[in-house]
Amino acid sequence: MIRVIAANELRRRVRDRSIVIGCLVAPLLMAAVLGLSFAAGGASGPVRLGVSGASAQLVRAALNASQLPRQVTVEVMGDGAAVRAAVADGTLGAGVVLDVKKADTPRRVLIPVVAPGSTHEPGFDVITRSSSLLGQEYAESLAAGLSSQLFAGQLDGGRVIDPPRISIVSENLGHGQKGTLNFFAPNIAVVFLFIGSGLGMRSLLMERTQGTLTRIAVSPVRASRVVLGKLLAIFTTGLATIGVIWAVTTFVFGASWGDPGGVALMAVGATLAMCALGVFLTSLAKDEQQAFGIVLIVGLGLSLLGGNLLPSGSLPSLFQTLSLGTPNGWALVGFGRLAQLREPVSAAVDPFLVLLAIAAVMGLLAMTRVRRMVEP
Amino acid sequence: MLTCEGLTKRFGGRTAVDGVSFSVAAGECYGLLGPNGAGKTTTISMLCGLLEPDAGSVSVDGAPGGSLGAKAAVGYVPQELALYPDLSAVENLKFFGQLYGMVGKELTRRIGETLELVGLSERGRDRVGTYSGGMKRRANMAAGLLHRPRLLVLDEPTVGVDPQSRNAILDTVAALGIAVLYTTHYMEEASKLCQRIGIIDEGRIIAEGTNHQLIVAHGGRDRVRLTTHSHDVRPLADAYRDLAGVHTVQAEGATLELETDHGPGLLPGLVALATGLGFELSGVEVRIPDLEDVFLGLTGKELRD
Repeated sequence: MIRVIAANELRRRVRDRSIVIGCLVAPLLMAAVLGLSFAAGGASGPVRLGVSGASAQLVRAALNASQLPRQVTVEVMGDGAAVRAAVADGTLGAGVVLDVKKADTPRRVLIPVVAPGSTHEPGFDVITRSSSLLGQEYAESLAAGLSSQLFAGQLDGGRVIDPPRISIVSENLGHGQKGTLNFFAPNIAVVFLFIGSGLGMRSLLMERTQGTLTRIAVSPVRASRVVLGKLLAIFTTGLATIGVIWAVTTFVFGASWGDPGGVALMAVGATLAMCALGVFLTSLAKDEQQAFGIVLIVGLGLSLLGGNLLPSGSLPSLFQTLSLGTPNGWALVGFGRLAQLREPVSAAVDPFLVLLAIAAVMGLLAMTRVRRMVEP
Repeated sequence: MLTCEGLTKRFGGRTAVDGVSFSVAAGECYGLLGPNGAGKTTTISMLCGLLEPDAGSVSVDGAPGGSLGAKAAVGYVPQELALYPDLSAVENLKFFGQLYGMVGKELTRRIGETLELVGLSERGRDRVGTYSGGMKRRANMAAGLLHRPRLLVLDEPTVGVDPQSRNAILDTVAALGIAVLYTTHYMEEASKLCQRIGIIDEGRIIAEGTNHQLIVAHGGRDRVRLTTHSHDVRPLADAYRDLAGVHTVQAEGATLELETDHGPGLLPGLVALATGLGFELSGVEVRIPDLEDVFLGLTGKELRD
């Protein structure tokens, strides 16, 4: 009976095209946008940057940290004057002049150098010209990378060392844009899961409005079967959504989500948890409009808190802790271990179990709420 | 087939159904007649397991009301359309049939038969959303009939339906031969279809019986109105007062109004007497009391109030 109810739900959603839009068109579009934004090497031509005051090793490490695109090449130059001259005559797009004396205090080095004009105090001069805005952007990123490497060295030895002993392995971070795609693709998939589950649950509210829920309620079917059938349909569409985003970003745009077994595990866990949460929240609504509002507001809040919009590592420590109270936060922990740290499937087990626990709690709450809609 | 004992339902401080008791025998069509808001739909909702009664009990074919056994025995046709508009009638019936455990060829055969019964065979593959109002109602009814229920519960199935579809629905119900609980506020439908009628008002059944029993008990007498060309009808009025079966006579101008036991039976005698006394009649009207009069007599208000 659960299968009958789930099949009818899916048939209706295919017929009204909501499943085509929610599980295929929208994820395809989003995957395409992500892929075209981050997978390609960038539409601009080659950009040359110059650096003085840092060794080639330090610059290489900083390049990995900065995740600059492939068309950016960096030359290590003799002194600041040479860098300035090359930028001025157009040989370089921009340059970074490192003054180690100015950068000897880790606290000063740590000050973000990405803001134009803030580079003198920390010990960096970012040399730019107005005709190369991209060069300025890349040079500032490179300066940030150099800053982080120097700071890592400070942490290690209490003073600036060259090269720093803590290095960033390029394989872990990927190459610039691909790494970004690996980060954003699961992120967006998790957001879609939540929205999709809310939309799926909306159909139960629609059934209440159009009277079909009454007809189901008078039939000799237990309310729990009705609810489980609905949940099965929502879970199926959620899994299809994440599958589409995974397939397109992987096979079309070359993203790497990591170990396929781990990805499958995380996809199931994330789908269960996000769907259960979405169904529970929607069940609090009185009508479709209210459900839409709840899903939108909570979805946005969870996305911000869980790190779907901004990497949780860039948030204050309190928010980083709070992100672990969200299912999407845990989903991203699992996907991040697989995609960015290249860890094996075993690394996804812990987040999967947490997601399973969230799904169980939210699922029970959702069942209780939804049963009330179906039975007297 | 159906027994309700002391059914009561309160919503907050308002009592929607107050100790309603009635029964429907196998093969009987029982009408629950009352104005909007009388408690018909609430009563039905308790019978079908949609609402939990605050007091009282329901038994359907021996099974407690609301149990899976009772639900399997009942076919429910709600007042509002309760079908998926994006699916065809066949797809709708297939789904609802599966909920009642029907599968395969048996289900396909039943779907065909039921669509035939309600006159929708040719449009069965079309989406319900494309149907006219009357067709939607008939499809709605098909969903309630598909599993061959032992008790069919129809909640005002003809509200807002065109006369042709209305007749089709009434003919279908009349031909079923199963126990039917039919709620309506159209007294003509109740009179035509139902062997017994319960009149419900403000949550209570205030009278119950056959159409004839109700009219005899609560509808008052037949009324005969005669209009003459004469300005003085007093001699004729006096003559009518002496007739057996005539209870009251009122004269007003050229018109006489009589309360009688059986107006149509007395009419030839009344006309003959008037002619014999030299009165030329210009109009004759016989009004036989109906359920509307029964309701008016019982509650002092119109059925459609």
